[in-house]
Amino acid sequence: MHPLRIVCKLLGAHGNRWLLMLLIAGLVLPVLVWPSPVAAQSLEVVLSDGDGEPVADAVIELLLPADLRAQFQAPAERIIDQIDKEFVPHVTTIVAGGEIGFPNSDAILHHVYSFSSPRTFNIPLYGRGENDGYRETFPDSGVVEIGCNIHDWMLAYIYIGESQLTAISTASGRGVLADPPAGDFQLKIWHAQLDEPGNVMVRDISLIEGESTTIEVQFSLQRDRRIRRAPSANRNRYR
Amino acid sequence: MNAVRNKFAFTSFRARLLTFLSALLIPILGGTLYYVNRNNTDYTEETINRYLEFGANVFDYTRQQQAETLITITTSLTWDFGFRTAFAANDPATLFDASLNVLDRSMQNTDMLMIVDLEHQVIIDTALQGYTVLEGTLEELVVRAENSEDLSAEIIGSVNDVPYQLIALPLYLPRQVAWIIGGFALDEVFVNRVSQTVLSEVSVVEYNSMGRVQVITSTLPAADQAALAAQLQIGREGINQQQRISYANGEWSTLLRPLYESEMSGTTVLAVIQRSYDENQVNVVQFRRLLIQFYLLVLAFSLIAVLLLARSISRPLSQLAAVVRRIEKGDYEERVAVQTSDELGELAYSVNTMASGLAEKEKVRDLLGKVVSREIADELLNNPVDLGGEERIVTVLFSDIRGFTSYCEGMAPREVLAALNKVLSTVSNIVESHGGVVDKFQGDAVMALFGAPVSDANDAENAMAAALEIVQTLEALESGLSACVGMNTGLVVAGNLGSSNRLNYSVIGDTVNLASRLESLTRLYGTASIVSAASVEAAPQFAYRELDEVIVAGKQSAVKIFELLGRKGALSPETVAENEQFAAALSTYRLQDWASAREQFIQLQRSCDNKALCQVFLDRIQYFSTNPPASDWAGVYAFDKK
Repeated sequence: MHPLRIVCKLLGAHGNRWLLMLLIAGLVLPVLVWPSPVAAQSLEVVLSDGDGEPVADAVIELLLPADLRAQFQAPAERIIDQIDKEFVPHVTTIVAGGEIGFPNSDAILHHVYSFSSPRTFNIPLYGRGENDGYRETFPDSGVVEIGCNIHDWMLAYIYIGESQLTAISTASGRGVLADPPAGDFQLKIWHAQLDEPGNVMVRDISLIEGESTTIEVQFSLQRDRRIRRAPSANRNRYR
Repeated sequence: MNAVRNKFAFTSFRARLLTFLSALLIPILGGTLYYVNRNNTDYTEETINRYLEFGANVFDYTRQQQAETLITITTSLTWDFGFRTAFAANDPATLFDASLNVLDRSMQNTDMLMIVDLEHQVIIDTALQGYTVLEGTLEELVVRAENSEDLSAEIIGSVNDVPYQLIALPLYLPRQVAWIIGGFALDEVFVNRVSQTVLSEVSVVEYNSMGRVQVITSTLPAADQAALAAQLQIGREGINQQQRISYANGEWSTLLRPLYESEMSGTTVLAVIQRSYDENQVNVVQFRRLLIQFYLLVLAFSLIAVLLLARSISRPLSQLAAVVRRIEKGDYEERVAVQTSDELGELAYSVNTMASGLAEKEKVRDLLGKVVSREIADELLNNPVDLGGEERIVTVLFSDIRGFTSYCEGMAPREVLAALNKVLSTVSNIVESHGGVVDKFQGDAVMALFGAPVSDANDAENAMAAALEIVQTLEALESGLSACVGMNTGLVVAGNLGSSNRLNYSVIGDTVNLASRLESLTRLYGTASIVSAASVEAAPQFAYRELDEVIVAGKQSAVKIFELLGRKGALSPETVAENEQFAAALSTYRLQDWASAREQFIQLQRSCDNKALCQVFLDRIQYFSTNPPASDWAGVYAFDKK
């Protein structure tokens, strides 16, 4: 296990978000310049849509066989905050069995719910700091869409992976798995608008020992069938 | 009156007036009626059109309002957390009940609610129409919603042959998981509601690609619905233009408003708004009827007025015409009995005055014919009467009645006049019968003209003939009267003599004077007539006896005088012999052989009838014997008194 992950896990379990961030900031730099004793293999996936534009907020997951999977199933804890009537972050990945907290940083009440089949839950109205310790456990893999019953436009996705070998694409459309095992695997790509059944597509992939692999995946996006937040105080009838 | 009469000429004043009135009044009245009627019709049409436009707008507005309500209700349903929970629970029975709740709360704004997943599989259908997957209009609705900006759509379309106002909205959980479809039927309830608002008949019809029109729902009675389906014209133009549909109770203006056009089935659903013309035109029709009645009244009054007017003019005119015709025939005593003070009165007065004038003129002509001869009268009446005259060769005849004084002895003056008139009439008639003209009467003397004012080639001979007849006629009267005649032919001035106020057609000149002198000399010479040499020359057909050569009183030149004996060749041998004897004696006398001349005259005096004639010469011979004339004397005897 990567030393950084151990630190993260320890600090995450502690629950102090601010201390965690501070520690991460102090440790990231040394880790980055840490010389690897053995040159490890890596996977970079570059995602673009039908127009060739980079696709952000997609999730890539390396699907491992069951025997190998156990090595990459360290329990994790995530936080999806509610800031300025938006979920932050928009996409969150977690390993099946992981826990997520939904604190409220706004001055008003929120009502977080999920009708998604991997995990249906409902946290009725609560205010700032009222629910900070609450954790929702997501035992099954899949995608959970969460919304707020008060603010219809609030939407966030929780990707529950089989393992922790997941990454979220950045604004440049890049998702990077830093230290995957070598071998022939399937790569699962999910995006909320990915125009395939279940918004998912799967690719076969070979990761060679000690080599960096980069693949480019292009897919078309569906229309985003969600509610847009009104751009101003002049709300239209659906907001 | 013109012989060739214009075909279109009026035969009466009344016809002319009536035609004029008709030509004037009927176009004006007709034109007014036409324009008033047209404006009213236009206005009615406009009003109806506005009503229909208004009706169509209300139809749309009502439908839109109800659609808004439908959207509002459906929207609030999609935001209901309980409903979302029920949907997430995936329990159709619960969802069905929840949907029915919405219908119940919609206050008849919603007739049906459907929930459909994103693959168009029907999850819930409150109307239980039997769909498992969307099709037809419903599918079109959802496809439209999927392609819309805000994932919603509304259309009008048929669902199981019933026109529906339909809406589709997304159900977010929080991403869209399903479609909610709401709808209400544009059925009897709906059209009744619109109809009550716009006071027009409202129908919804469907028109298929085969051109068949089917009334889906309507506020019209069933029979009218059938008429509507049969008559409605739906073409490209027909949709926007208003048309007329005939029902049992009259014509209806009809406006179409397309509601829905399905490309899949090729049908068009239209709203039909209708309004009765008759209902709108009740006032117009009544107004038109009143107007026509009024016009007929005006025409009738005008007709009567014109007839009266025509009669007031044509009647006196006819009277006048009749009178004028009688006057034309010479009945100058006829008078018109028109007593008005207008132009007709003036005309009547003029006609009356004219009749008087004509009567007077006729009287004058009659009188003139009596005072002067007919020829002179005609000359005076027919030519401008002015002073002055013309030079003409005229034979002037003077006739006198000898023995009239003794004839009248013991007679009353009235009897004298009657006798004189009788004689003068006789003379006058003879003169005129020979083409002469009696110029004037002077006591028992008559002056007659031959050659003026009317001229004849045989003026002088006519005069001779007249003279012979006058003498013979008077002798034949056996009243002891005889005529003596003097005649001369020569240049005279003929014309109107006198003042400008009082004229006399006559002739003047030496010729006249000489004729008068010659007539006077008949007493001396004891002859019935004395004719100048000029007259003898002008009338060679007659036989004459030269009596003498004289210078009459007041004259300078000598003139030979003759006695008219008769027509040439009609003389008795005795007369011829006596003439020769007289001529010989006269010749001897002129040679101043007084003794022989006396012998001859004495001898002649014994044998002839005219003892006075011979005595004239015997007396002169007696005188010349003691007072001989000059040696160059040629036998001319000068009278020194008249």
